[in-house]
Amino acid sequence: MNKIYKVIGCISLVCISLGSWAAGFSLPKYEKVTLQNGLTLYLMEQHEVQLIDLVVTVKAGAVDDSKAGLAKLTAANLILGTQQLPRAELEAKLDFIGAQLDADAELEYSSVSASLASKDLDQVLQWVKDSLLTPAFDDQEFAKHKQRYLANLQQKTESPKAVIKDYFNAQLFKGHPYAAEIDGSNTSVAGISLADVKAFHKRWYTPDNTAVIVAGDFDTKQLKSKLSKLFATWQGKAPARAKLTTPVQPKQAQVLLVDKPDAVESTFMIGGAGMAMSNPDYVAVSVINTILGGRFTSWLNDELRVNSGLTYGARSRFESHQQGGSFYISTFTKTDTTKQAIDLALQTYQKLWKQGIDQSTLDSAKAYVKGQFPPNYETSAQLASLMSDMFIYGFDEDFINGFSERVNALTVDKSQSLIEQYFPSQNLQFVVVGQAEIIKDWVKGYGQLQQVNIQDSE
Amino acid sequence: MKKIAIWSLLSALALPALGNQEDKVQTFSLDNGMKFLVLEDHSIPNANSYLFWRVGSRNEYPGITGLSHFFEHMMFNGAKKYGPKEFDRTMEAAGGSNNAYTTENLTVYTNWFPAEQLDLIFELEADRIEHLAIDPQMVESERGVVISERSTGLENSNFRAIWEEVKGSAFRAHPYSWSVIGHESDIENWSLQDLVQYHKTYYAPNNAVMVVAGDVTVDEVKKLANKHFAGIPAQTPPREVHTVEPEQKGERRVYLHKASVSSPNLMMAFHVPNSRHEDYYALSVLADILATGNSSRLQDSLVFSQQLATELFAYFPESIDPNLFYIYAVASPGTTSAQLEQGIIAQLQKIKKEGITEQELQKVKNRRLVDFYREMATINGKANTLGTYEMYFGDYRALFDAPTKLEALKVADIQRVANQYLKKANRTVGILDAQEDSHEQDL
Repeated sequence: MNKIYKVIGCISLVCISLGSWAAGFSLPKYEKVTLQNGLTLYLMEQHEVQLIDLVVTVKAGAVDDSKAGLAKLTAANLILGTQQLPRAELEAKLDFIGAQLDADAELEYSSVSASLASKDLDQVLQWVKDSLLTPAFDDQEFAKHKQRYLANLQQKTESPKAVIKDYFNAQLFKGHPYAAEIDGSNTSVAGISLADVKAFHKRWYTPDNTAVIVAGDFDTKQLKSKLSKLFATWQGKAPARAKLTTPVQPKQAQVLLVDKPDAVESTFMIGGAGMAMSNPDYVAVSVINTILGGRFTSWLNDELRVNSGLTYGARSRFESHQQGGSFYISTFTKTDTTKQAIDLALQTYQKLWKQGIDQSTLDSAKAYVKGQFPPNYETSAQLASLMSDMFIYGFDEDFINGFSERVNALTVDKSQSLIEQYFPSQNLQFVVVGQAEIIKDWVKGYGQLQQVNIQDSE
Repeated sequence: MKKIAIWSLLSALALPALGNQEDKVQTFSLDNGMKFLVLEDHSIPNANSYLFWRVGSRNEYPGITGLSHFFEHMMFNGAKKYGPKEFDRTMEAAGGSNNAYTTENLTVYTNWFPAEQLDLIFELEADRIEHLAIDPQMVESERGVVISERSTGLENSNFRAIWEEVKGSAFRAHPYSWSVIGHESDIENWSLQDLVQYHKTYYAPNNAVMVVAGDVTVDEVKKLANKHFAGIPAQTPPREVHTVEPEQKGERRVYLHKASVSSPNLMMAFHVPNSRHEDYYALSVLADILATGNSSRLQDSLVFSQQLATELFAYFPESIDPNLFYIYAVASPGTTSAQLEQGIIAQLQKIKKEGITEQELQKVKNRRLVDFYREMATINGKANTLGTYEMYFGDYRALFDAPTKLEALKVADIQRVANQYLKKANRTVGILDAQEDSHEQDL
């Protein structure tokens, strides 16, 4: 470990004081630093076990794809060897010390992450840096990976649960960048070349667009110095991303029927436009959703599973991004009871408006979300992921430290106005995966019908 | 039942760290035989309880296959003080949540809650252990839930689909023959009397171990355990499972047709001893050498070099009775199941003939250490690991002997177990593919 600490281009420094349990759940102390080249560091010490979790997050994802799947392929290719180490050697070295290195892309960001024993930090940091800055981008590794990737896309069509959300997002966000197919399709991925990957990497993987996030068993002062040196020569600026509009609720109810001729059950999603991650009502709305479909005793699970035995589980959730998101109910049931289950899901959803939420149900949901909150931020991997979200979505420790307060502030009256405001009630969007021959007549009444086959490329 | 490939934490090392943990585990038993393991951990204001019952699908017989798992569901459907739905409602309103899982060997009930709710959690557990009400109406609706759970597994998981077939062929005598979820016709038809008897026999305090980890004190756990569980009477211990699977003396093969499969899936399963056998650690290391990490034998050769498979894994579950050592692979497009099978066999053959390297063995030992840290990073990982060792190895302290056992392994031990168990006559091969098995050239 390098003992010399020099402040290399420390433009801003934020220190958050250590919270105590007595005052409710609060986030452990971390430092956020921006280096001269624009690279942001988030560092949080956690010494319970001798582990470190590291996430490098880049603000570029599927919404920035010129060909669907490009962000995902770019991330994956970063860890297929570096200019210093071919893939097989890099993997042998990682495996030998029990370290894990992963890379992936989501809708609005990409990340390279590592989990390692703290004694191996120097070694792994070097490999992560090489993966980011000087990946091998080898023709043969690229071609082989693409073959495996295309096979996985094909295999994905074997499972309704694996594909249904892609169909749902494509229908809900049609015309908006959030409709992006994160994984891409057979056709789009077939058209991606190594040159495309290199260009995406060059354009977006720049220090001003990136955060290096570390949580675990290390010394902040030493690591800050080390990271500052390691990334000091990294230069470049990412182009300004056009700010996206907020996605809106579609103008008509639609049903997408995805035919799977050998299906033994129907899998479906019902929903509409949701809310942005930064929405100040995010926490309050998630408490309401807990009542509707966010826990075992939720209305949806109680009706569709416990009371009627129609399914193994029914739920609802908001999925939030920078500018908006989706809301959906999801469940599955045997082919014969498809209509019964959809109708019961809709009836149950209607209770939000027809019956509303009473005080004791609200109290129970508040206790539940507060009680289940701390274990979400127990490990360094979870804490690193939280800091990555802070970087992407622009929130800070107040999200954690003010959580209980926001939960407590929700009243029965307020919940009714939030339901009106955020839960889509008109022009609902349906996707049903199942045996079209049997269920088509049942589902066509819910909206304008369109039918595709699950094995067709999306 | 998402128990695939989680086993690796179970034989970790890390002597200094483990030493500390061992000191921290405290145990006590009530007069009725119910045993408790307690691990204080004040890192978050929460705690958990993991209640392990010595009952799983190995305790079933034809006609009641899947009953252990069904029972897992029924335990949430009402007792004396807390009627139908009240268990979950009460727990969630107190900020807690729960789940449960059933395996071939065990049924485990997990509660996660703010630490100050321990009293309530124990009260809820005691109520359903002592006074479960098996309501006929709840039984009927739960049949539908479990049939849905079964079919959604088969619909979405190729592994689940072919696994059932392979087990059914590899075991013709022992109850490991059927899947944990059971046959659909049994789920539809077992009687109320079957359920009553099952509860009385297996849900007795002398058949359970509870692990509590988190922001609690041992004294408090002891006090509340006495308050809630001490009055529950012990029962005659359940009948031992005495069936021994006869030695397999020739390869068995099964084929499953599923039209929507895009490339063949292959499962290979070899009979191996139980977790207390002296070969357990060598076999567990062999599984890692074959398929854990991209530099492992099968990943490196079949996925990356030859591109015969898009994904694969080895699975060697802990087991009370002798069970199976699995290899599972999904063929790449254009690869036949025969090519994939030959590719796997060639790699197994190589280990049998040439053995493994010191470097490979050390790699597995190193990885187990880091995986152990990962497991110990959460109170849930701690509770589950301690309980699993207690149940499968007879004593949670086996966890702390594991490093020594692992360290003592030599490269020759791995080659020896490969030669002993990875044999054609001892294997069952299952293939899942899109082609119908019946065709014009045959029948």
